[in-house]
Amino acid sequence: MKAPSSLEELAGALRCLPGVGPKSAQRMAYHLLQYDRAGARRLAAALTVAAERVRRCARCNGFTELEVCELCSSPKRDPAQLCVVETPADLLMVEQTLAYQGLYFVLMGRLSPIDGIGPKEIGLDLLAKRAADGVVKEVIIATNFTNEGEATAHYVSEMLHARGLKVTRIARGVPLGGELEFVDTGTLAQAFYDRRPT
Amino acid sequence: MTERARVDNARAFVLHAYPYRETSLVVEAYSRDHGRVALLARGARRPRAALRGTLIQFQPLLLSWAGKGELRTLVKAEWVGGGPMLRGAALLCGFYLNELLLKLLAREDPHEALFDRYAEAVARLAGAGEVAPVLRAFEKALLAELGYALSLDRDALTGSAIDPARTYTYEVERGPVPVADADGAAAVFSGRALLGIARGDYSDPETATQSRALMRLLINHRLERQTLHSRRIFADLQTL
Ligand SMILES: [Zn+2]
Repeated sequence: MKAPSSLEELAGALRCLPGVGPKSAQRMAYHLLQYDRAGARRLAAALTVAAERVRRCARCNGFTELEVCELCSSPKRDPAQLCVVETPADLLMVEQTLAYQGLYFVLMGRLSPIDGIGPKEIGLDLLAKRAADGVVKEVIIATNFTNEGEATAHYVSEMLHARGLKVTRIARGVPLGGELEFVDTGTLAQAFYDRRPT
Repeated sequence: MTERARVDNARAFVLHAYPYRETSLVVEAYSRDHGRVALLARGARRPRAALRGTLIQFQPLLLSWAGKGELRTLVKAEWVGGGPMLRGAALLCGFYLNELLLKLLAREDPHEALFDRYAEAVARLAGAGEVAPVLRAFEKALLAELGYALSLDRDALTGSAIDPARTYTYEVERGPVPVADADGAAAVFSGRALLGIARGDYSDPETATQSRALMRLLINHRLERQTLHSRRIFADLQTL
């Protein structure tokens, strides 16, 4: 048996990317070696550095190169509020609203029983510890409005209620500027179930 | 089996969905008349895809698809209007039902009666009642539908009627077998509990506990080597 060539090894390695099958992995490998050696070297170096340096923030569980990330150490943020999100991308979305000045906790996932992702896999114990620092007064749950996100919100909320914390869930409904005519039926149905007094 | 190129407005539920490529979704659907099918929902993960708010588990839908083979293409998904979404423990129970269907039902094998029981179970889970009897009733229907109807009123050794006062073990391929002394037997069931399960009456606490153990035994046997993640995760969540 012969050892895999460097080319095969590269194509094989590229398959760890989500949505990349054997064919696209091979195409990427050929592309890098045929047309973009400089890009290939840069990619290799960036991967090595990132894999070496990036770790989880001790406070928010998000990615950082420091012990505690910049956002978590910022004196401008309100440490009494903690917002729980599924992913770093969700954190950025909330940041863009400029409507929130508190701190975050990134679950790096959500409960998904069918995929075998439970409380241990998303580190709910880390969240419990983080929220119990004595400074946090309110935990705002901003997980997705999918069934998995709802399940996550429910158990996070039960866990933190039991520890005496105030827990809130971001509201949902018809998008801003959304005309009812163009809203999907599921969202509109949910907006009816979640209606509130005015 | 004849393969039809196009199916229109099939009554169905989404059991599970996972991302596919950049913007698509593979939906594991359970339809009344065509059984379990995998559907490719193109563009369903684009930011403003209308499908997003429709392809949701535990809501009755009308699905249309086309194509042949393992993965069909979803053409249309229409909201039928069910009840409110499942919440809390009932939601976890819903995931459990879906996982049972995903792991125990073969693809493209319609089970109309079971579909109706599933729809009924989901509707009951959305209500305020207890969840355990809903799960037991569905598990029993699922086992029967898989050709494994429970034998609960006759002793498998002698064929005599189950005695409510006696203790039995349950041999998976045969049925209840009386035991002289319960010590050492792996799982034992009272005659009273077996008769309760046969009637679908889980109100007695002993029947409630033992029916759960019996279903677990039989389902594990059916699952062969597959594990049910939702069961473990539900247990993990109780310890939070
Ligand atoms: Zn941080």
